[in-house]
Amino acid sequence: MASNPVPDHVPPEMVRDFSLFTSAGMLPTPNGDPHAAVACVHAGPPIFYSPYNTRNGRGTWVITRAKDQRRVLQDAETFSSHRSIFASVLGENWPMIPLELDPPAHGIFRSLLNPLFSPKRVMVLEPVVRERAIALIDRIAASGTSCDVMKDFAFPFTVNIFLGFLGLSDDRLDIFVGWANDLLHGDDVKRPAAARMIVAFIDELAAMRRKEPVADFMTFVVQAEVEGRPLTDEEVRGTGVLLFVAGLDTVAAAIGFDLAYLARNPKDQDLLRSEPDRIGLAAEELLRAYPTVQMIRVATKNIDFEGAPIRKGDYVSCATMIANRDPAEFECPNTIDLAREDNRHAAFGYGPHRCLGSHLARREIVIGLEEWLARIPGFRIKEGTAPITYGGHVFGIENLILDWS
Amino acid sequence: MRIIVNHATCQGHARCWAQAPDIFKLDDEGYILPGDINVAEGDELLASRGAQACPERALEIDRTAAAPESVFIQSRV
Repeated sequence: MASNPVPDHVPPEMVRDFSLFTSAGMLPTPNGDPHAAVACVHAGPPIFYSPYNTRNGRGTWVITRAKDQRRVLQDAETFSSHRSIFASVLGENWPMIPLELDPPAHGIFRSLLNPLFSPKRVMVLEPVVRERAIALIDRIAASGTSCDVMKDFAFPFTVNIFLGFLGLSDDRLDIFVGWANDLLHGDDVKRPAAARMIVAFIDELAAMRRKEPVADFMTFVVQAEVEGRPLTDEEVRGTGVLLFVAGLDTVAAAIGFDLAYLARNPKDQDLLRSEPDRIGLAAEELLRAYPTVQMIRVATKNIDFEGAPIRKGDYVSCATMIANRDPAEFECPNTIDLAREDNRHAAFGYGPHRCLGSHLARREIVIGLEEWLARIPGFRIKEGTAPITYGGHVFGIENLILDWS
Repeated sequence: MRIIVNHATCQGHARCWAQAPDIFKLDDEGYILPGDINVAEGDELLASRGAQACPERALEIDRTAAAPESVFIQSRV
């Protein structure tokens, strides 16, 4: 994948050799810390141009300061979210909903879906989430003193909750994890193949729920009305695909990074285990330190931004992991302080596209940590193993083998 | 103390509500109810924590506003 030439309007002095995909620590790295690696941009200017900063090699402007990311992400009129990131894998052009809709259409769909993911609704879901976490961790504890956290806990846990939303059983869990993995990290053959499978799956599920409604998310979507009409097939698909893409990898990765941190920091681990009331606040700090996504927007018009000549059509990257290490926003941003107060981190983004699933994600993370710490004694990275971290569009961790023998 | 609610800036993070659910009330979609909030004297610390938790900066603290008479006193009068 050759990177595109830098557009003529970008002043050469604003181009920097930095990318969430290719910079040091972004490729799969044993015992890596990609979040710490990106913090280096704060030694530089508030905005610069990265010639290769998307999966398909496009350049983006990079906004480093939290307050500027807030300005970009709150201004959906100037910075559009519609770039068909999923559909373009298939050579198509339809939005994931509501993420890739701009106001006012965005608000209509967001209002439709918000009640399903509201803080109050998530409180109702909590017992099921906790039950699932306990079942998985009990099985791990019963079968030995070591496990692969991502394979044995983080993915089965988060995918199960996603499947519960869709009213589906666990029997296709591995297939879903495989699709998500191929979609996010696969090559140019695997990615479109996975995208096609996901679309076919969502279309088929929607058709089933139309014929035989049950109490689940897709039934809600196919029965829903916006502006006095039912959703079109494309809208149903766009909504279902977003749930799939957004719900799988991100929370699992967060749980992985969190447990890796606790494995390496036994004092913090002991503290949270003996005082579980601290886990809620600690989870916020871990969300600040280890967020997983970068938001990219498309400029809808020419705008000069902090001295940068952004032109219509330019991509503008607001990486949560960069905002969350901004020294102007957070005291000692590279220190992880599990008791940090006033922690207005950007893990779920800013503006109207604030992660719709944020309340559920938070509960999954907190419950996952609570039940893990309650059931697994002092754990560490298994000797002779090294977790592999990577950057990119969604940061992640794999081969996280914990040991409590 | 009064909390000035910039309702249009609220994006439903619900961090204020997480700090103080009795002070910061949410609608069914999870966004803050419109209208500024008069904070009772004993609630000031909690209210300012909640306001400072907003990632969007939708909540401003106005410390010049006098606290409303407490519910207790009002109910006696």
